[in-house]
Amino acid sequence: MQEELKKLVSNALSDIKGALKESELLNIKAKYLGKKSKIAELMSGLKDMSIEDKKQYGSLFNKIKKDLENKISERIAEVNVSSDISFDETLPVTAHLGSLHPVTIVTKEVTDILRRMGFSVVSGPEMETEYFNFEALNIPESHPARDMQDTYWLDNGKLLRTHTSPNQVHAMQKYGAPIKICAPGRCFRNEDLDASHENTFFQVEGMVIDKNISIGNLMYTMKELLSAIFKTDVDVRVRPGFFPFVEPGVEIDCSCLICGGKGCPTCKNSGWIELCPGGMIHPNVLKESGIDPEEYTGFAFGLGITRLAMMKYKIDDIRILNSGDLRALDKFNVE
Amino acid sequence: MLISCNRLKNYIKNSEKIDWFSIWDKFTIRTAEVEGVTVKGKDIDGVVVAQIIECEKVPDSKKLHKLLVDNGKEKLQIICGAPNVKVGMKAPLVNVGGHVGGFKITSRKLAGLESFGMMCSAEELGFADSSEGILELPNDYVVGKDIKEYLPLEDIIVEIDNKSLTNRPDLWGHYGIAREIAAITSHELLPLELSEIPNNKKDLDIRIKNPLCLRYTGLKIDNISTNETPLDMQIFLYYTGMRSISLIVDLTNYLMLELGQPMHAFDARKVNSIEIDTAKDGDKFYTLDNVERTLNSHTLMIKKNKDYFAVAGVMGGLDSEILEDTTSIILESATFDAASVRRTATFLGLRTEASARYEKSLDPNMTIIATKRFAKLLKDIDKEIEFTSNITDVYPNPLKEKKITLKKATLKKYMSVDISAEFIDKILTTLGFKVKEKKDSFDITVPTYRATKDISLEADLIEEIARMYGYENIRPEPLKLELTFDELETIGSKEYEVKRLLATKFALNEVHTYLWYKTAFLNKLGIEKDNIKLLGKSEDNILRDDLALSLIEVAKNNLKYQNKVGIFEIGTEFIEGENKRALAIVLADNVKNVEENFYKLKEIVITIFKTFYNLDVTFKKSKEFTYYNDNLSFSIYNGKDIIGNICVLKSEKASSLAKKKCFLKATIDFDKYVLLNKKEYLYENISKYPTVSLDYTIIMAKQEKYETIAKTLKEFKSPIIKSLQFIDRYVGEKENKYTIRYIVGSDEATLTSEELQDFKEKFINHIKKDGLSIME
Repeated sequence: MQEELKKLVSNALSDIKGALKESELLNIKAKYLGKKSKIAELMSGLKDMSIEDKKQYGSLFNKIKKDLENKISERIAEVNVSSDISFDETLPVTAHLGSLHPVTIVTKEVTDILRRMGFSVVSGPEMETEYFNFEALNIPESHPARDMQDTYWLDNGKLLRTHTSPNQVHAMQKYGAPIKICAPGRCFRNEDLDASHENTFFQVEGMVIDKNISIGNLMYTMKELLSAIFKTDVDVRVRPGFFPFVEPGVEIDCSCLICGGKGCPTCKNSGWIELCPGGMIHPNVLKESGIDPEEYTGFAFGLGITRLAMMKYKIDDIRILNSGDLRALDKFNVE
Repeated sequence: MLISCNRLKNYIKNSEKIDWFSIWDKFTIRTAEVEGVTVKGKDIDGVVVAQIIECEKVPDSKKLHKLLVDNGKEKLQIICGAPNVKVGMKAPLVNVGGHVGGFKITSRKLAGLESFGMMCSAEELGFADSSEGILELPNDYVVGKDIKEYLPLEDIIVEIDNKSLTNRPDLWGHYGIAREIAAITSHELLPLELSEIPNNKKDLDIRIKNPLCLRYTGLKIDNISTNETPLDMQIFLYYTGMRSISLIVDLTNYLMLELGQPMHAFDARKVNSIEIDTAKDGDKFYTLDNVERTLNSHTLMIKKNKDYFAVAGVMGGLDSEILEDTTSIILESATFDAASVRRTATFLGLRTEASARYEKSLDPNMTIIATKRFAKLLKDIDKEIEFTSNITDVYPNPLKEKKITLKKATLKKYMSVDISAEFIDKILTTLGFKVKEKKDSFDITVPTYRATKDISLEADLIEEIARMYGYENIRPEPLKLELTFDELETIGSKEYEVKRLLATKFALNEVHTYLWYKTAFLNKLGIEKDNIKLLGKSEDNILRDDLALSLIEVAKNNLKYQNKVGIFEIGTEFIEGENKRALAIVLADNVKNVEENFYKLKEIVITIFKTFYNLDVTFKKSKEFTYYNDNLSFSIYNGKDIIGNICVLKSEKASSLAKKKCFLKATIDFDKYVLLNKKEYLYENISKYPTVSLDYTIIMAKQEKYETIAKTLKEFKSPIIKSLQFIDRYVGEKENKYTIRYIVGSDEATLTSEELQDFKEKFINHIKKDGLSIME
């Protein structure tokens, strides 16, 4: 009987292997495992066997039955897939992708870094009053920044903010000290457009006020921020800079990433890119917003998001950013 | 501003110990940004003082002369085209093998005659824009000596960014820059050489009639015998961006470049007494540049009665300018109100070197020093001059020195390290401050040249100390992070997550547009807008009250390159004088797809509110701007509150933009959006018993809206309803068919067929009762 079974199994296996359709396999199943099959016939003989044989052959029958059933279902699955279906994995498909504006992507990167440093993201109005844009920031009436040629004045006596710094004042007045905020947003300067000048551009403002905030804190924060943005240790140069709302005021330059500091048109051959004005918040600004400069000190900085985006993506004409031209802008697929 | 290192060296003791090329990197990080350092004169060599011994015209040549020239070693034949050659004249000669202007000079033939070198001009030596002949050298120059022994042609010229000097009136002259260099390099600043003028003559008649003139110092000088400017001064002026005109004018410019004090010289034949007052509205005045200017009642003038001599702090008058035959001058050294000069320069559209300095708030105490310095320099050049008046000084409100107490604790707080008293004393003293140390503080006296606007507080002094200590030497200190969890505002992340959803889920493109409408675009659409306007502009000057309209313009532009457009922006609209944050989405497509696009837009809006707030918004017809189709405009409701709208641009407007296209927009009030509260979803148990899905198709007349069915469905109540879903709509000719699906089941047991049958019957009856028909 051993011989017979062996032959049976080998026949079944070769039939299974040779079958190409599910229906054939179902017939094979009936033929070998059905009620009138050889196995069924052999199994019916079990009852006449000795207890010893019953045990041995009983489990052998079951094993054979199970194995064949498995082989048949596997083959059924196989023939169903492979029979007349084939894929061309090289055929192009269209991924329906939208895009975010490059400035949005860079703003997200920068504010994410600042959030990790504990800054809250706040916002403020684009149409501002003279008070928030200038007066409260210690910019007196005769300051050049108030000139017609720089500021978009409006016929209702207000103006379009020329920087994100009014957000310092809004935040101080709304939330008081201590505080740690950043405020990204659009700014406006009345300039003629060319490849490197826009009347509408983005900055992010940062501000920290607490007891005992030092120039060292400002240096640390700026260096960490710039390293995180550029994902590398950038060379940073800090030099005095004048802004009426900070004292001391600094300009933070980073080594030009286009030429590596050797000098090129982007950095005007200096090897440095002016990136980030900042400084210790002027006592007059703190006072104006009801914070006692004897008790609190703080620092603030601005970062040109538009310029950062241009550097990151090597965009050589600023006008593309506000052009709405999807031939350029739809390439910025979200991250 | 251009700075000559040769000049700076004169003001600093042991200046040869300073590396004048590399010091400027330091200057940038200590004081102000240097934009460029240029080496001058290195390209000139082999040029010597030579004398013409013989001179004759070259026959058959209009211009050429054949010269015999003594170069100190030999006598050479030189063929020269300059018109001013004459025997005995000393002039620079470039020997064969020498260089000027980037050329190597070789012996060559001119008009068939050999020339062994080249006589050269100021232009060729690099200190004039043009020259009419070769440079005539003074007679006391020794023949054969290298020209560089006499002329400071070699120099290092440094360009400093004017913007970084905005708050530093003291740095608008070389002497102030030298003071900084002295402090940076620990050198000693030398005092200026001045002429003391005896106070034994008559005062000039000077009257300040308007307080916008802070100080006016005058001096009369007679018997001026030359108008030749020494060559070294000409070179200095040229290298620092000025042009030599005549001795007196050059000297006033020189003083401005040296001290930052603008000066003016009037021809004393035209001006002998002076008042300073504002002009009359509409008066006319010719300035030095020969332009007639119309004055106003804010223009401060140097005048006498009705005669105007100069626009104070801006430019002199044509009528009283120094002429070739001027021998007697009134010298002006004055200080005017910075804001007034700035306003006047802007009003006249005339920004000059003088006005640029005045508007920085100059130190009034400089006028006397500048006058005495002018006197000294002129006397050195022209021994014949006579001072025929006292230095006449009108100074109604003298600026006093300012005293500030710098607390050691404040300094420590800012710097976070201890700075030695010795360092503070040394730095501040070199910069001209007086320092007195006390137990807990320093008493510091601010020099007037730093006190006009720059330094008035402790923080200002800390800046002086910090920058000279070096920002790069200040140890970065990590911020101590308080553990804060709450964001003050959520707008930043809410804007981003919506943008991301629109880009990733709906494949829309984010764009940025301007805050104002383009006039040409409004005209094209025939839309009139009235809103807040930008001043000083006649076009593109109306602020937008509909962000979507800006996007429609962008969509239209992109239809040139693609068939359909889906874009969005979160930006500001200006409504009733206020800033309003809005999200606008615009879809543009073929006009036959307008309905499909409407439902797509609706889906987008619903998805936004569902995703981020789990809110179900609804839509109801509304009226929006007149250029949108009233029949196809819908408000978006959150409960009873309108939170936005969906509109379709009127077809006649759309066709003026593009053929057979439609433009749809959705706007969401983002100020309201960020304040919404999220409706938390509460978990419901999944029934252990099977549910049954029942589809029904309800038939309704075409003009009816789904709303009618929805109302009927809402009224049908049964405990076994698990959910109800709209599946699809089939649009017929007169009737529409709506398929809906109920999922029914019980939490307690499997539904019996009787229960199901009961539900079906009740439902069909309910629908029929409401006059709707249902396909059974």
